[in-house]
Amino acid sequence: MIIKIVKMLLLLLMPFIMLGIIKKTKAFWSGRKGISIFQPIYDFSKLLKKEPVYSETTSFIFKLAPSIILTSAIFSGFFVPIIGIEFLINIDFSFVIFAYILGIGKFFALLSAMDTGSSFEGMGASREACFTTLVEPGFFIITASLCAMNHINTFESFRQFVTDLPLITKICVIVLAITALFIMILIECSRIPTDDPATHLELTMIHEVMILDNSGCDLAFIMWASGIKMLIISTLIASLIIPAVIPQYLTILLYILILIIISVIIGTIESGMARLRMSHVYEFVFVMVAIALIILALVTMKVFGT
Amino acid sequence: MEIFFTGIALLVIGGLLTCLFKETIKFKILALFSCIASILLIISAILPSKPFYFQNPIFGNVGVYNDSLSSFFIIIISIITMLSSIYSNGYMEYLAKNKKITAHCFFYTLLTAAMLMVVTVQNAFFFLIMWEIMSLSSFFLVIFEDDKKEVLSAGIKYLIYMHISVVFIISAFVLMSIKSGSYDFSTFKSVFVSHPYLKDIIFILSFVGFGIKAGFFPMHNWLPEAHPAAPSHVSAVMSAVMIKTGIYGILKVLTFIDMPTPFITYTVLFISVLTAVYGIIYAITQKDIKKLLAYSSVENIGIIGLAISLIMFGKLYHSNLVITLATFGCFMHILNHSVFKCLLFMGVGSIYRQTHTKNIEQLGGLIKKMPYTAVFFLFAGVAICAFPPLNGFISEFLIYGSMFSVLKLPLTSLSFISIVLAIASLALVGTLVILAMTKIYSVAFLGNPRSDYSKNAEKDVPKSMLIPMGILAILTFVISILSPFGEYIIPLNLYADYNQDAIFRVSVILLIITMIVSSFLIFIIIMCLIKRIVIGKSKQYKTWGCGYNKSNSSIQYTASSYVYPFSSILTPIFKKVYEVKKPKGIFPQNAYYNSEIQDVEEAYLINPIIKYDEKILTKFERLQDGNIQHYILYGLIFLILMLIGAAIC
Repeated sequence: MIIKIVKMLLLLLMPFIMLGIIKKTKAFWSGRKGISIFQPIYDFSKLLKKEPVYSETTSFIFKLAPSIILTSAIFSGFFVPIIGIEFLINIDFSFVIFAYILGIGKFFALLSAMDTGSSFEGMGASREACFTTLVEPGFFIITASLCAMNHINTFESFRQFVTDLPLITKICVIVLAITALFIMILIECSRIPTDDPATHLELTMIHEVMILDNSGCDLAFIMWASGIKMLIISTLIASLIIPAVIPQYLTILLYILILIIISVIIGTIESGMARLRMSHVYEFVFVMVAIALIILALVTMKVFGT
Repeated sequence: MEIFFTGIALLVIGGLLTCLFKETIKFKILALFSCIASILLIISAILPSKPFYFQNPIFGNVGVYNDSLSSFFIIIISIITMLSSIYSNGYMEYLAKNKKITAHCFFYTLLTAAMLMVVTVQNAFFFLIMWEIMSLSSFFLVIFEDDKKEVLSAGIKYLIYMHISVVFIISAFVLMSIKSGSYDFSTFKSVFVSHPYLKDIIFILSFVGFGIKAGFFPMHNWLPEAHPAAPSHVSAVMSAVMIKTGIYGILKVLTFIDMPTPFITYTVLFISVLTAVYGIIYAITQKDIKKLLAYSSVENIGIIGLAISLIMFGKLYHSNLVITLATFGCFMHILNHSVFKCLLFMGVGSIYRQTHTKNIEQLGGLIKKMPYTAVFFLFAGVAICAFPPLNGFISEFLIYGSMFSVLKLPLTSLSFISIVLAIASLALVGTLVILAMTKIYSVAFLGNPRSDYSKNAEKDVPKSMLIPMGILAILTFVISILSPFGEYIIPLNLYADYNQDAIFRVSVILLIITMIVSSFLIFIIIMCLIKRIVIGKSKQYKTWGCGYNKSNSSIQYTASSYVYPFSSILTPIFKKVYEVKKPKGIFPQNAYYNSEIQDVEEAYLINPIIKYDEKILTKFERLQDGNIQHYILYGLIFLILMLIGAAIC
């Protein structure tokens, strides 16, 4: 029971901590003291209290969207290993439900951006939609390869490397999958080098520009949802690393450690490089698909090869 | 079968009776008869019925009965044609001034009756007759606005495609009936037992034939032409159920073949994936909203074809689970696509009726003027993107499920890679559908009006159009919730005997899925309530415009710019046609720029063939000299040649 509560708290609160750690890391690299790692939580509670402003152009979709985006993020969190609900994880093909529930959030995010009739938000929406279309097939190739490798049709296939494949293949697949998923975090959660969350010019943004007209509670919901999304993909990375056989409390500790490491890495990348030019972002996205295809090739060779 | 025939008779009588009534109530009569007939037909499909046989001196035993496959199609056809006929009341009000409505009503009922007969008649010859009636009556429905040039040319194109298709179907059926010695479908199964080498050729022939009707790549070109040309309720019927008769044909032939060969399986898999990806890529780039939906139909046919190929994979590897999942997914997707595509076409028809334009770039802000249409359209949009909790999700989930189950079988490396790539393609298609649907929805309904067309739309469409749309919108949700009980209308044991275990397992999975999906819905509602409590009061202000607040509607993102990041990746495979008039002189006037994306397959594959044909055929022009004596002579020569041929054989 306690474990379940801890898992739920992790799913709901850890996104803020991760954002805080990223900011702290960036402050460290630029030689500043930086804000407290709990600052995103304060920001969140402040936003909740603020009075939202709605554009006159918008319709009910704009008001409905933040709730759907947040629900879809939290709900898809129930399907990932480690922090999810056991029953939901173990349903056959549950990752399909996972992907589509995440998708409905994106669908409404795009609609609400277009609902404002603003040129900026349309721009953000069109970029975001384009990148998603390229990321999703890569994600499915990775999942399918891992499923085929472990003969399991759930996300548990990320955790249980039970097959009698040679160790070197397993390590290769795991490392490649982690790289691909990490790129997926950078794309889906709009971090540098695909998008700069701290930029001030609307024209260069992707995700931030989509939510220009959201304010108050709506903005809080969307920020929280995008944090949870980052946590979810990081959880997939963690489940590739953490063995399934160790006791639960140790899993949780290791898991938190991995989340912190991922946040530090993201923060370091953001301090070390600038955002890619928009036309080069595609190439970055294709790297992820390419890695996915390499995983597929490896698995095919090892499972069916002579 | 008495109830079934009563329904058919009522339909045709209703169509004929419309000529007795005033222009204004013709469609009401049509809707009335269509409703009564549809209810009778649905009853006949659900109740067990006695097969009806009659002896034909030439074509032998002609059976008309509904097996489990036919019953499923009867239900879909009845529901969709009924709702469309109600919808036509309001839609045709504006379109039907000074037009021949009687003929339109008659052909509408004839099309319905022919589709119903196609899926029930069990004799190859009568099947072809009904097939032809179906094609011709739909041709007359397409060319309703026959005073427009593009409508007529689209209609003729459709007619030609249908007749190419029928050539292939006839050859397949004749081959089978020669070998079996009968035109009766029930004897066709034996052909493949004694001549297994015929499987490839007959299946490919019928796949091409029926595939043209269904709209498989590369013979899909009639769809994006005929659908925009036809009135919306006709496009709804054509896209929702008529192209599915092609799928029915493929599924029927598959029951004859029983055990497919690997060659067939991979061909269908490859063509289907290509169809799905090709269709959706072109859907994204279209400006004409009906063309967009037509390409989206092509994509959905691809997904159904993918499910059919998975049935074959299941058969090849003797896996009941895969067969059951794929059959369930295939039929579920046929049903779902009928429901949401019909709804989408109706929604687009409503837009066209109120704004008089099909160009997406001219629309905008309709959600405020047509709130009901907008809500129903949103249902269809969410359903076609396959998002829970609506019905599209269930079928895509089942198809994904069957693909992932195939991965567990002892595959070869070729089949493994092709299935994984099919999974990736389905994921790609899924996300591209989101792009296409957010484009059409956000540009047409959201934001500010982009032109006078959409500014002038005053109010929502009449109730006769809203009610069918509302019913379909509710259906998208109801089907999703009732999917665990799908085994009662879906012929799950058509391709696998003794698969009760698999059916049970799939139903249990679906039951869990529907529970998850409904809890997701409840979560959304709770979240909305929480937001309501948190939010307190709110303010209204202008959209953020970098500090400027005199923005107008032309600064909005357009449909083309919305998809530009994606379409720019695919520039090499698109054929763009530009129409440019540059501004000239000191006082430039009338400059414009228009770019359109042409179907590359049509431009580089179909058109060259037609050109080549034209070259050859013009050589025979001399024969047509207008002299009747010569024509009689040709007839005579033909007869003599036939006689000689018969004597030799």
